Amino acid sequence: MKNQVRTLRTQRNLAQGQLAEAMGVSRQTINSIENERYTPSLPLALALARYFGVTVEVMFDDQEP
Amino acid sequence: MIKNRSPAVVRSKWFMPAFCLALGVVVLVASWLGGQLGSGVFGLVVMTAFGLVILLLTGRSETIRGLTTGRDERFAQIDLKATAVAGLALILTVIVAWLVEIARGHSGQPYDWLAAIAGLAYLAAVALFRWRG
Repeated sequence: MKNQVRTLRTQRNLAQGQLAEAMGVSRQTINSIENERYTPSLPLALALARYFGVTVEVMFDDQEP
Repeated sequence: MIKNRSPAVVRSKWFMPAFCLALGVVVLVASWLGGQLGSGVFGLVVMTAFGLVILLLTGRSETIRGLTTGRDERFAQIDLKATAVAGLALILTVIVAWLVEIARGHSGQPYDWLAAIAGLAYLAAVALFRWRG
């Protein structure tokens, strides 16, 4: 699923490991989300959106191009 | 760290090596009771070596770490899929072995029991998870 995780993370100068630690997941999980290989659970999606101060709709795009 | 979010599993890095060692001891005792002490010692050595390898790799590989000390929601999902694949492979093997035994004119034991246990366990799990929502 397309998402803005990498954009938002780099805007805040965060490493994947730092975001992973804040979310309580592995760095590989953040990497997989950013590369659209893994769709996070609803709780993790909400946590990411809350962490970056945006809505889930802004962070994740489920519309096919 | 976000609380109450995912069913993360966190274990000591000694859990899996200790489990391997304990399993090796069980193999040793079972083999000893069966009069095959040599096989038991071999089993214990193999399980201990396996546990040591896991212990050494835990700090170096995120994949091994996921299998041993801790797993997040993505790894839990991977674990679930891998378990399903392993279960499917096992069930298919049991069914094929059962058919081969029947074709040879045998009763099909113990594969018929194993297949029945697998089928009943699947149905029970479906019923349980459906009931739990």
